[in-house]
Amino acid sequence: MRHTVKPLLHHRMMPLLVVLQVALACAIACNALFLLQQKLVPILTPDGVAQPQQLVVAWGIAPRGNPWPVSTLRQSEAELGAIPGVTSASLAASWPMQTTAEMNGTVLTEDKRIKASAAIYLGDRLRDTLGLKLVAGRDFSAREDAVVYKGVGVGTDGPTIITQALANRLFPDGHALGQVIRIGEQADAGRRTVVGVVAHLMRNAFGQDSRASIDYSMLFPGTPTDWPVPIFGVRVRSTAEVAGVLKAVKAVVQRELGPNMIQGVDPNYHTYAEMRETMLAQPKAAVWLLSGVSLIVLLVALVGIMGMTSYWVQQRTRQIGIRRALGARREHILHELQLENLLVVGVGVLLGLACAYGINLWLMRHYELTRLPWHYLPFGALLMLLLGQLAVLGPALRAAQVPPVVATRSV
Amino acid sequence: MFDYYLRLAWRRCRQNLAMVGLLVLTMAIGIASTMTAMTIFGALSGEPLPGISAHLYVATMDAREAVDKDSPDYKRPDSLLKFADAKALVDARHARQQVAVANSLTTFGRPAGKQSAQAYGLMAYGPVLQTFGVALRYGRPWTEAEQTAATPVVVIDTEVAQKLFGTQDAVGRSVTLGTHSFRVIGVSEPWNPRVQMIEVQQNPGTVIGQKAEFFVPAQAALDAGVGPFLAGECGKGAPVASFQSAAVAQCRWIETWLRLDTPSAVTGYGEFLAGYANAQQDAGRFVYPPQAKLFGTRAWLTLNHVVPDDVRLNLLLAGAFLLLCLINVAGLLAARFLRRQGDVAIRRALGASKRTVFVQHLVETGVLGLLGGVLALPLTWLGLWIVRMQPVGYAEAAKFSPGVFAALFVLSLAVGLVVGILPAWRVCRLPPALQIKLG
Repeated sequence: MRHTVKPLLHHRMMPLLVVLQVALACAIACNALFLLQQKLVPILTPDGVAQPQQLVVAWGIAPRGNPWPVSTLRQSEAELGAIPGVTSASLAASWPMQTTAEMNGTVLTEDKRIKASAAIYLGDRLRDTLGLKLVAGRDFSAREDAVVYKGVGVGTDGPTIITQALANRLFPDGHALGQVIRIGEQADAGRRTVVGVVAHLMRNAFGQDSRASIDYSMLFPGTPTDWPVPIFGVRVRSTAEVAGVLKAVKAVVQRELGPNMIQGVDPNYHTYAEMRETMLAQPKAAVWLLSGVSLIVLLVALVGIMGMTSYWVQQRTRQIGIRRALGARREHILHELQLENLLVVGVGVLLGLACAYGINLWLMRHYELTRLPWHYLPFGALLMLLLGQLAVLGPALRAAQVPPVVATRSV
Repeated sequence: MFDYYLRLAWRRCRQNLAMVGLLVLTMAIGIASTMTAMTIFGALSGEPLPGISAHLYVATMDAREAVDKDSPDYKRPDSLLKFADAKALVDARHARQQVAVANSLTTFGRPAGKQSAQAYGLMAYGPVLQTFGVALRYGRPWTEAEQTAATPVVVIDTEVAQKLFGTQDAVGRSVTLGTHSFRVIGVSEPWNPRVQMIEVQQNPGTVIGQKAEFFVPAQAALDAGVGPFLAGECGKGAPVASFQSAAVAQCRWIETWLRLDTPSAVTGYGEFLAGYANAQQDAGRFVYPPQAKLFGTRAWLTLNHVVPDDVRLNLLLAGAFLLLCLINVAGLLAARFLRRQGDVAIRRALGASKRTVFVQHLVETGVLGLLGGVLALPLTWLGLWIVRMQPVGYAEAAKFSPGVFAALFVLSLAVGLVVGILPAWRVCRLPPALQIKLG
C-alpha cells in the first residue's frame, strides 16, 4: 500500500487532475440521473385509462361571453352519446392529460392528520368513459351523476371515487370505503365520502412526483354551473370506428355550440392517446437530453482518465522495469496500477458525492426540486469506480508488458 | 516571434492528429453545450422591454368582492382588477406614467371591403404607447379627451395596416371593430415583449411575449362590444370566467402597470396602493384583506415562473460540463507537453527563457481552443436546432445570432488559454539540465 500512495503524493499534478475530473463527473452524473429518473415517472407509471386510442376527447370549447348553460351542454352530451359506435359519453370540467382547466389541491382526512396533493376530475360517467378499473366499492349512481352544482362543485359535499394510491396514503389501515375526505383545510370545506376505489388514474400536474404521488386522483360526479371550458369525452366501441366517431363528434359540437364559440381559437378534437403523447412529449425530450448529457459526461471522464493514466504510467516505465527486474510479476504490476486507480478515483468519488449532495441542497433551495435520495449515491460511486477501472485497464496491461530489461537501459 | 510560435504549434499538431482531434472535440462539445444553453438563457433572462420594463411595476391586490368558498386563500398575488379600480389608480396619477391594459383577440374588418384579419392587441386606459415604449411609424397616440369621450380611435401596427389596406400609412382610414367603425389615428412599429409580461397568470406556459397588433382605448372597445380575451373572476352570481365578452363590469379583467423611476417613488406608490386597497376593504367592497403589493417586472415574471426553471438548470448543467471538459483537456495537454520535455530542454539550453517557453505553449493551446471554437460553431447550431425541435415554450428563443458568434469566439479563445495555463506553467518550470538528462 505504501509504495502505491507515496508516488501519488510525490507527483501530485496528474492524480490531482484525475481526482478533480472524477469528482466533477460524479457530481454532474448523480444530479443528471436523479433528474432523469424524475422525468421518467409520468412516462413509466400506468395512467389507468383503458384503450387510450378508443377515447375521443373534445376540449377548449370556450363560449363567447357568458358560459354555456348546463342544459345546452347536456343536450350536446346526449347527442354525442347517440353517435353510432359510442358506448359512453361524458361531460366533464377537468380531464387527465389536459391542463387548460385543472383542479388540483390539498385533500385531507377528516381529522386533518394526513394530507395529499391530488387532482380532481369532475364530470358524469367518468369511470365508464375513462375505462377505469374499479377495485373496491361501487361506481357513481345515475342520480349522483345527474347532480348540477351551484358553481364549480369542489366545495360541495358528495360522493367520490379515489385511486388505490390515494386510499393507501390517506387511510393506511386499508379501510377507505365510507371514509370522508375534506377538500381543503378551511372549516366549510367540501366533504366527500369514498364510495369506490380505482386501480390507477394519473394526476395531471407533472412535477416532482414519486410513482405513488403521481397517482393521487379523485373523481367527483355531476356537472358544474358556469364552468368556462367544458370537456366532452366519448368512448368508442372499436378502433375501426374511431375516425368516424371523431368526425361525428366534431360535427355535433360545431352544430350545437359553434355559433357561440369564441372567435380565433378553435376547439381541439383528439384521442386520449394523442393527448397523452402531447403531454409526455416534454418529459420525453428531457429524458433524451439528460441521458445524452450523462453519457457524454461519462465518456469525457473515461477518455480523460485514460489519457492521464496512460501518461502517468508511461512516465514510470523505468521504475516498472526495475520492479520487474527485482522480481515483481506481471499481475503484481497490473494489480498495483488498478489499486492506485481505485485509490485516486475513490478520493474523487468521495469528493464528488459530497459535491452532488451540496449541489442538490442548493438546487432545492432555489428551484422546485426534491431531495436527492441517498440510495443514488452508492450507485453513482460504483459507476465511477467501474469507469475508473475500465479506463486504467489499457494502460495497466501495457505497463505489465514492460520487460525487466528496460531497467538496464538509460531510457 | 508570434508567427514562429504559430508555426511550431502547427508542426506539433500534425505530429499526433488523433490526440489533437480528441482535445479539439472535447473542447468543442463543452463550448457548444454552453453556448446553446447561454443563447437561450440570454434570450429569456433579459428585460422583456429593454430599457423600459426595468422601471415598470404591476399593482396586485386581493380585490375579490364576494366570499369564494372554493378557494378562500389568496394563494398568489393577483394583478387583475375591475375596470373601475384600474381607472381610479390611473386617474390618481401617482406614478410618472400609468396605464391599465388587457389582452384582446378580435376581428378587424374594412367597412367597405371584404378584407378582415384576426389580431391580438391591447385594450388600454392611459398612455399605453408612451408607457410601454411603442414606437409610432405614422400618426399619433390618442389624446386624453378622446379617451374620456370614448371616441372610436385605434392604433394598428404596420403589419395589420399592410394586410388590411395594402399600405403601411393607414392613418385616417376606418376599420370595423365589433359593432363600430374606428378611425385609425396611428400606425405603430411591430411591438412584442421578448418575454411574456402582460397577464402572465392568464397565459401559463407562454414564455415568448405575445405581440400587440393594435392598441385601442378600453371604453371605446367595450362600447363596440369588443371585450378582453379572458375576463377573470366575475362578481356575485356572475360566471367564473368568460371569453371575449364586453359585459365585464362585474369582472376583474384589467392589469395596472406603473412607471416608477426611483426607489422612493416605489415605496411611495406602495403606500398609496395599500391605502387605496384598504379604503376599499373598509368601505365593504373587498371582502378579504387586500394585501396590496407592487411587483417590478422581473420579480413578477420570476414569481409566476414565466421562464421555466429548466432554462437556468440547463445553463448550470452546461457550465458544469464545460468545467469538466476544461479539466479533462488541461490534463491531456499536460501529458502532451510533458512528453516533449526533450524539445523544451533543447530550447531552454539554447537560451529561451521560461517566459518564452510559457508563451509558446499558451499560443499552442490558444490555437487548439480556436480550432475547438470553429468546430463548436456547427455543434452550437445543431444544439439550437435540437432545442427548436423540442416541445417547450421557449423553443423560439433558440436562434443563432451574431452576438452568439462573437461570444463563441471569445469563449473558445478563453477556454484555450485557461486550459493551457497549468500545463504550460508545468513544462516551463523544470530546469534545463534536468530536462536534458530526462530526454
